[in-house]
Amino acid sequence: MPGADGPPSDTELLHRHVAGDSEAFGELFLRHRDRLWAVALRTVGDPEEAADALQDAMISAFRRAGDFRGESAVTTWLHRIVVNASLDRLRRRAARPAVSSGDEQAFEALVAQDSDPARATDLRLDVDAALQILPPQQRAALLVVDMMGFSVADAAVILDTSPGTVKSRCARARARLLPHVAHLRGNRSASESVSPAQGGDA
Amino acid sequence: MRGQKSHLDPDVLAEYRAGLITGRRGRRIAAHLDGCAECAGVGDQLAELSALLAALPAPVMPDSVAQRLDAALAAEVARRADAERAGADHSRDRKRAPRPARRPTLQLVMMRVLVPAAAVVVLAAGGYGLSRIVGVQSTSSSAATGSEAEPAPSAVPSAPRAAAAPASGTSFRAAAGTQKSAFTVVSSGTDFLRARLASQLEAALGALAVPASAESPSAQLQACVQRLTSGIKPGIPKLVEHARFQGQPAIVIVANRGTGYAAWVVAPGWVAPGCSATSAGVLDRTTF
Repeated sequence: MPGADGPPSDTELLHRHVAGDSEAFGELFLRHRDRLWAVALRTVGDPEEAADALQDAMISAFRRAGDFRGESAVTTWLHRIVVNASLDRLRRRAARPAVSSGDEQAFEALVAQDSDPARATDLRLDVDAALQILPPQQRAALLVVDMMGFSVADAAVILDTSPGTVKSRCARARARLLPHVAHLRGNRSASESVSPAQGGDA
Repeated sequence: MRGQKSHLDPDVLAEYRAGLITGRRGRRIAAHLDGCAECAGVGDQLAELSALLAALPAPVMPDSVAQRLDAALAAEVARRADAERAGADHSRDRKRAPRPARRPTLQLVMMRVLVPAAAVVVLAAGGYGLSRIVGVQSTSSSAATGSEAEPAPSAVPSAPRAAAAPASGTSFRAAAGTQKSAFTVVSSGTDFLRARLASQLEAALGALAVPASAESPSAQLQACVQRLTSGIKPGIPKLVEHARFQGQPAIVIVANRGTGYAAWVVAPGWVAPGCSATSAGVLDRTTF
């Protein structure tokens, strides 16, 4: 239960961590962990590699917290580190010879581990699978702007590029994704609204 | 190219919608959209796509990943504390007479890490040799078995089969004096398999009541166990077992996390030099 002053802000927790508080970082990370997991998983596309990426990012943020200068929100800073770690993983994977067609296994694993209502999961997995056809940079931009809801300006900080490039990556990603997602939605219901909770024979 | 004649490319439409196309070209696209239901429909779909993406439920972080992150964070916190302590020791050592730095430093770290368990640590001897159990349940249950406890808690907790204990364990006990480990280590020939890890671990816990040879952990193993389990209360492992994993020698660590168990399978080669801050030696993790 928060005290009279409410829970400490993200910035406060980060400062406490830098000052040597051994609990502060854990509390901060826990706050954002689920969103950061979504970012890592959707950027990398594979749960095992996403876990690696998120762990890399967490350790990196832990150690580099002193570099945080407050030019952006803490959550923006955290997302930037996670996106970087995730894209790093993808680059390393691209440099390795392909070992398996990971995507199918990855999504099977996702289904197995999921506790969402089945229908929402179906649609989500369809979209998550479709996301994987995008080039990583476009996928990351679309993820940060459309799925995580960051402004183009914040997305530019997270993706370490210009707002114009963010817009253009998002635009190309949407155009590229459209036929796939439209097709998937068409299978579900002809006059479907955008709500993922609605389905045919529920 | 004149947009009015042919349909708009979805790329162009998406760029236009993102505000990337302005001026005369933008006005041409706007005019085309006014008169072309098909392209206007694609534009609507692009808007729906963004809304759909925004409304999509987030994937749930699997327990195994959460556990793994907890362990990695605990290790990182311990690493930082170690570094700070080592720095403090170092400056103090320079002021005082020099002393052998490495091993005493490790002991200091361990004593600090073990503090939460200190009250029950000496009573752990009560169960010693009676079962495969390794952890101490609680102070009260330990007190309940107090009559069975060794009268002298400071006695060296040598196992009946002390000869089987690794040299490092022996030297740790000798070096640490009254510092007694909070758990013991059993050995088995079990080959744990990734695919069946949870059910095998449940069976291993079920076998805990059966007496088996147990030995004291090495200082390095104790440190590793403390790091892995430090995010979990009560933080004392339920089972630490030398076994195999996927055919290779491995150490299995199981801790009670309240609603179930968390387990780690680690490589002996990671433990022997003192597990590093990275979790590179963790071969697998699970919860059950």
